[in-house]
Amino acid sequence: MATLHVLSHSPFTDSRLSSCLRVLGSEDAILLCGDATYALRADTATARTLSAKTGTLKLFVLDEDATARNIALPDWAQGVDYAGFVALSVQYDKVNTWL
Amino acid sequence: MKFAIALHSPAHAPSSRRALLFAKAALAQGHDIVRLFFYQDGVHSASGNVVSPQDESDTAAQWRDFVTTHQLDGVVCIAAALRRGVLNAEEAERYSRSAANLPAPWELSGLGQLHDAVQTADRLICFGGP
Amino acid sequence: MAKSLLIISRQAPWSGPDAREALDIALAGGAFDLPVAMLFMDDGVLQLATAQNASQVQQKDLTANLQALSMFGVEDLFACSTSLSERGMQPAGLSVAPLQVLDDPQIAALIDRYDQVITI
Repeated sequence: MATLHVLSHSPFTDSRLSSCLRVLGSEDAILLCGDATYALRADTATARTLSAKTGTLKLFVLDEDATARNIALPDWAQGVDYAGFVALSVQYDKVNTWL
Repeated sequence: MKFAIALHSPAHAPSSRRALLFAKAALAQGHDIVRLFFYQDGVHSASGNVVSPQDESDTAAQWRDFVTTHQLDGVVCIAAALRRGVLNAEEAERYSRSAANLPAPWELSGLGQLHDAVQTADRLICFGGP
Repeated sequence: MAKSLLIISRQAPWSGPDAREALDIALAGGAFDLPVAMLFMDDGVLQLATAQNASQVQQKDLTANLQALSMFGVEDLFACSTSLSERGMQPAGLSVAPLQVLDDPQIAALIDRYDQVITI
């Protein structure tokens, strides 16, 4: 069973991303949307943390939120639109949104 | 696939719009939405009294249109709604409040409807926060 | 077979209605005899602190409700060991028992085991 974890809070004011990374299963993936996409800002500790997990962590980003914030996606993150978001929620066994 | 969608944020939160666009995309792909369940601050997304400035989108109205157009089962948690002042005409009268702000197509019901949706659906997707 | 639901409660008891409303999902699930579990993590473990005085801030004490979970058929209760130690809390001195304390890999396995998850 694999879980898609969905985050929307900024990682700079909130602990959801770090908590999520602590309890992430080996097959799990993360979808960043809203302010959570700020995690991918260049030259940040969060971007370095996430990039260090490439290879084990599948990272998705809601395209419109990254674009709205002028955040360029690194090649190790995959952008999705809403159709892609729906497809991910079908592909993964469950979706855990960190409300 | 059958989706249950739970919304925990008010209409002015980006996550309310995100939930709506997800729901539209799910239907566009031929999936079913067995129920929309508005809980916590999500009850405000069903409010009929939201007035958006003309140059801003009115997510509460869009939710209403979406549920009506697709004849979806739109349930607002009654305990969460009462606590936050979101009342239909029946509840406004019961508690002697001066106004009702929960119009059709929304139904007030209990948390059992969330559990029922979890049991019926293949996926539960929650939206909330910013 | 009924689908199982894990509720992850990660807010402090009176930071707003979150803790109460997460608990209400569990109680409703128990009332319908559904397989429901609760995991307390992050600030959610603060709900498990002893000798709270909710009345001082005109709030309802959640402790009695948490202790009643097992009477409602919600017997699978878990707490995050990392969150407890971050907040200086000892697994032995919590207000709710029995409750299983899990480390991070065990929590990953717990999330994996349930059909659906709600994190509030």
